Amino acid sequence: MSRTVTPNGFELDSSGRRIAIDPVTRIEGHLRIEVNVDGANVIRNAVSVGTMWRGLEIIMKDRDPRDAWAFVQRICGVCTGVHALASVRAVEDALAIEIPRNANIIRNIMHLALYVHDHLVHFYHLHALDWVDVVSALKADPKATSDLAQSLSPWPKASVGYFKDIQGRVKKLVGSGQLGPFRNGYWGHPAYKLPPEANLMAVAHYIEALNFQREIVKIQAVFGGKNPHPNWLVGGVPASINVHSAGAVGAINVERLNLVLDIAKMTHEFISQVYIPDLLAIASFYKDWAKIGDGLASRNLLCYGEFPSRANDDSNDSLRLPRGAILGGDLSKIHPVDLKDPAQVQEFVPHSWYRYPDEKAGLHPWDGITELDFRLGAGTRGGKDGAAIEAIDEGDKYSYIKAPRWKGHAMETGPLARMVLGYAMGRKDIKELVDGALKKLDLPLPALFSTLGRTAARGLEAQWAADRLLEDVNDLIAQVRAGNLDTANNEKWSPASWPAQTKGVGYCEAPRGALGHWIVIKDQKIANYQAVVPTTWNASPRDAAGAIGAYEAALLGTPMADPSKPLEILRTIHSFDPCLACATH
Amino acid sequence: MKPRQPYTILPDTGTLPDVQMYGPGIRFWHWSNALMVVVLSVTGYFIGTPPPSSIGDTSVLYWMGWIRFIHLAAGYIFAVLAIMRLWLAFTAGGVSHQLFVPAIWRASWLAGFLKQIEWNLLLTDRPFRYIGLNPLGGVAMFFLFVIPGAVLILTGFAMYAEVTGHDSWQYLLFGWMSELFGNTLDLHILHRLAMWIVISFAMVHIYIAVREDILSRQTTVSAMLSGDRLYRD
Amino acid sequence: MEKGETFFEAIRQRGVSRRDFLGFCGLMATYMGLGPDGVGLVAKALETKPRIPVLWLHGLECTCCSESFLRSGHPLASDIIMTMISLDYDDTIMAAAGHQAEQIVEDIMRDYKGNYLLAVEGNVPLAGDGMACIVGGRPFKDQFAAAARHAKAIIAWGTCATSGCVQAAKPNPTKATPIHKLVSHVPVVNVPGCPPIAEVMTGVITYMLTYDRLPELDRLLRPKMFYSQRVHDKCYRRAHFDAGQFVESWDDEGARQGWCLYKMGCRGPTTYNACASIGWNEGTSFPIKSGHGCIGCSEEGFWDRGPFYERLPNMMQWGVESNADKVGLAAAAALGGGIAVQAGATLLKRIVTGRKLDAGVGQNSPDKEENT
Ligand code: HEM
Ligand code: HEM
Ligand code: NFV
Ligand code: SF4
Ligand code: SF4
Ligand code: F3S
Ligand SMILES: [Mg+2]
Repeated sequence: MSRTVTPNGFELDSSGRRIAIDPVTRIEGHLRIEVNVDGANVIRNAVSVGTMWRGLEIIMKDRDPRDAWAFVQRICGVCTGVHALASVRAVEDALAIEIPRNANIIRNIMHLALYVHDHLVHFYHLHALDWVDVVSALKADPKATSDLAQSLSPWPKASVGYFKDIQGRVKKLVGSGQLGPFRNGYWGHPAYKLPPEANLMAVAHYIEALNFQREIVKIQAVFGGKNPHPNWLVGGVPASINVHSAGAVGAINVERLNLVLDIAKMTHEFISQVYIPDLLAIASFYKDWAKIGDGLASRNLLCYGEFPSRANDDSNDSLRLPRGAILGGDLSKIHPVDLKDPAQVQEFVPHSWYRYPDEKAGLHPWDGITELDFRLGAGTRGGKDGAAIEAIDEGDKYSYIKAPRWKGHAMETGPLARMVLGYAMGRKDIKELVDGALKKLDLPLPALFSTLGRTAARGLEAQWAADRLLEDVNDLIAQVRAGNLDTANNEKWSPASWPAQTKGVGYCEAPRGALGHWIVIKDQKIANYQAVVPTTWNASPRDAAGAIGAYEAALLGTPMADPSKPLEILRTIHSFDPCLACATH
Repeated sequence: MKPRQPYTILPDTGTLPDVQMYGPGIRFWHWSNALMVVVLSVTGYFIGTPPPSSIGDTSVLYWMGWIRFIHLAAGYIFAVLAIMRLWLAFTAGGVSHQLFVPAIWRASWLAGFLKQIEWNLLLTDRPFRYIGLNPLGGVAMFFLFVIPGAVLILTGFAMYAEVTGHDSWQYLLFGWMSELFGNTLDLHILHRLAMWIVISFAMVHIYIAVREDILSRQTTVSAMLSGDRLYRD
Repeated sequence: MEKGETFFEAIRQRGVSRRDFLGFCGLMATYMGLGPDGVGLVAKALETKPRIPVLWLHGLECTCCSESFLRSGHPLASDIIMTMISLDYDDTIMAAAGHQAEQIVEDIMRDYKGNYLLAVEGNVPLAGDGMACIVGGRPFKDQFAAAARHAKAIIAWGTCATSGCVQAAKPNPTKATPIHKLVSHVPVVNVPGCPPIAEVMTGVITYMLTYDRLPELDRLLRPKMFYSQRVHDKCYRRAHFDAGQFVESWDDEGARQGWCLYKMGCRGPTTYNACASIGWNEGTSFPIKSGHGCIGCSEEGFWDRGPFYERLPNMMQWGVESNADKVGLAAAAALGGGIAVQAGATLLKRIVTGRKLDAGVGQNSPDKEENT
């Protein structure tokens, strides 16, 4: 049966030539994508395969809930901290712990810093090479590049000499025959559209961003001691504040606050003067990609909300990125999302390498089961006797990623979902950003539902986060000035104060989308721990009914110039910013 | 070297002459060792579970420093005493070797061992009279003091090597312990467990010693004081 | 053969003066413990050596070690990647994907047999034929074994690679296995930490390039220059430890004064890492400096030595779910109970058999009673 229509309305045709990309690089973790292309090299079937699994949910069993954040934080070091945040929130929910106001602000600051950092690194270091031809930068005229840069932004590093230097470095690199990370890239591919000057400017900013990104995360280091993997705490944050008295040098003091404020300012500058101008400039050459890569984007979007402006309040009044779902592309109706409702978030495994007693049914994460069941379907090509898998059998189990569904629907989540939801709810800050960018690019709203839209939404969100970062740092400083110093609540610290049995859920909007951690605590130990992660949603395999996930859907209909050089696939997949360690955990 | 005295059961009736059980070396060892165990247990306990903080200047306060200093000093003495005790086992003769090698292969030892169990379960009214270490006690001493004592010394010096550094003699001699465990937190756990074993031993040991002194037909506590064991009928 | 850009050329290109360059070399030399004459050595190496190919493979991990590497301030990660080494394969940042990516591994193994560095982030799952990590349609263990065979040396990045880290915590569902256990004829350098400090990572690489040899390693294959002292030995809160001044609960007065975190479970006394001296994020902070104890992230099996907030961990690594004091106290209490029971029973027996307690020494034998 090579032709089917999925329950979520996509036509799949697996009769054409099968192509596998494994490893998909410039992502986190191990992902394999397989597609079938028709005679005109248009993608007609897509299969997303998560190819790593570590078993964190099993490892969490019987541990101390207060330690959980540290374990699950190691689900991912790219979106470092998000699992820790979801985890401490889950434990706090289970134990009814209220955190102090400052703890909320500090968590927001740390998380905002991550947003900006993660989006920036994604754009320049994981995604840019899909759009920027490094080798073509050799042909650029440094003078023209300098003019271009200065026409786009007041960013000071834009002299002719500067771009000449950069070009010289690239020349040496290419001339040495040792291209390092640029080796075997798809240079000269017909899908690259930037003029040499834009390429040179982008290469320069690739290096600048690589050097600058390490500044942003120092904010996490101030409050959490290090980055990646800063420290968190159930009941608040571990850092104490002391600005007036003896011993202040051993706490968050004026110097620390100044440092954070300074970095927040620099960050804001870099985003507004480098990232956003680059994004818009590059996007203007790739407007055709505003029609490619939609998939679920124009239909089903899911957000859990983030950045509570009031501690312990996760209502939409408090959440500065809203919570809600959009179904069937109807932006006029925002569906409320309840993470505790057993009928809303559910995970299915008939096409995942796990076992359920009843695989027709989905399980709410509080009742979730993680039990490995690795097997290759009968239709697999290769994979036997030491041979590599050539083509996986998507009719059987085929991925380490579970298939999460919201009220039965496959959903897309991430910056695009957040920007669209905020837009649909009429949030002024978000509307301004989105409308501004659309106007500059001269594109209509539906252009968002695309590969380009996803990439643009991420940049706009980085701008949004950089704005909020400055506000929140100033808010913290104001709190301290007003004499509010508390950062942790110890009331329920001792396990002796806990109920014999309880459960909770921790939400988080991670850079890649909606993240939930569900915890069941029995006798002061973890009885069940389940994480449903943004990339679990987006890279989801098929579910019991055969509905496909966001990656698979977004690839359908994409024309490829040369299927042996899968640049187009990388573009769309990268527009989601995949994280496979997250997805499978 | 003085002749070794095997474990011997004495006739059950009649008055017997006193026997010299413990020479001055052993007695000196016993009481200084007992003192060190007390000092080490108290300081060790507080190293792991420090008392509440005191307010004041770090240039004046040095609580934890002193506790650790006393512990380490006592640890050295404990280790030196252990070596001395081992040396006595070879040179002091008498029953001095019995601590390290309970004579489990001897019928008389086994009989004494069983009798001692009966006695402690209150199943008999008359324990044996014998020359040597109480066989049940001897086994307890070996497993609950000699072995854990060795563990305390090994782990103690291995932890000490962490402080003195990777180019110290402590590391040269005991660093292999760190490698064995990979994570030196295990040394602390093991050290602490061994402490509890020794504390448990000491509790029972002191109780039994006093009890035997009162109830059995031979002196114990005073034997460890004067060296001589007196037999009563 | 045309030589690649050297580190010095590269940094000159970026407008860095020779004086600044030497300053940087001095900093590196200090971190590597080389003393004043080390400056010249570092400078010379960076000025003249061509770039060594590096394959950076990813097994079961979280990519945080790569992220940490990118945070390096001296040298900048961008300089290392562009000019000091030739990072030909690294799934996190490489341009190529799929077949083109796999081709690189094969080409390097062929063209630089015995002359490339293998850097491994993460570890190798062995359960179920290694299928918990699949790369290019094959188990990662195959890719790793092939790349390891002809490497000049292997750097195991992070606790994942050096001892299994979080996925190897009990019950280690995938049988995640550290790198050094799978390699026999190629030297392995363990650079533990979850993740390791950025400048430690780049420092190890710089050292190897400068001296063209492996750093001196300790018994656990860690470079002595960075891993021979405990966090506790260099911790700036140590004075409070010695003074017996401890944080007793979160955000208490002691916490606001920066007292010692020992009672909050700090693992600094048993953790070998450079955090307290080099610091994180170019010295911005380190866990203890921002108020949280060290969790021992560079130590073998640290995950199974929780709770992280208790001074005495559960003895999970030995399969016991209790800590040393609980076990010890229980044993002591049981024996105390035994003593009480026996003493009580002795007394009872006396009363029952009608004898007085003060019967006195020497009067406790039935024979004797009959005799008198
Ligand atoms: C009867 C003998 C001993 C007892 C009962 C004892 C008890 C203890 C205890 C309970 C601790 C705390 C462990 C922890 O929680 O981390 C400790 C620590 C220590 N002990 Fe002992 N110990 C004994 C002998 C020794 C010996 C012979 C040495 C060798 C020098 C030694 C050296 C140490 C060291 C170095 C520490 C670690 C101190 C620190 O972490 O600051 N101990 N001891
Ligand atoms: C921490 C404290 C103590 C430890 C670790 C300890 C350990 C030992 C050891 C190892 C022996 C065997 C001697 C040998 O053959 O070399 C022994 C014998 C003895 N100890 Fe202790 N001792 C302690 C405290 C005491 C105290 C407080 C008393 C008295 C109340 C006592 C009374 C005796 C007696 C009477 C013997 C001789 C037992 C016999 O001959 O069967 N001990 N002790
Ligand atoms: N997917 C995902 Fe994450 C994110 N953002 C986490 O929740 O990347 Ni590693
Ligand atoms: S060692 Fe820790 S930080 Fe590094 S990859 Fe493993 S889990 Fe991530
Ligand atoms: S905070 Fe930790 S490392 Fe620092 S002195 Fe205290 S116990 Fe040692
Ligand atoms: S937790 Fe890790 S980062 Fe350093 S202070 Fe401890 S080794
Ligand atoms: Mg899950």
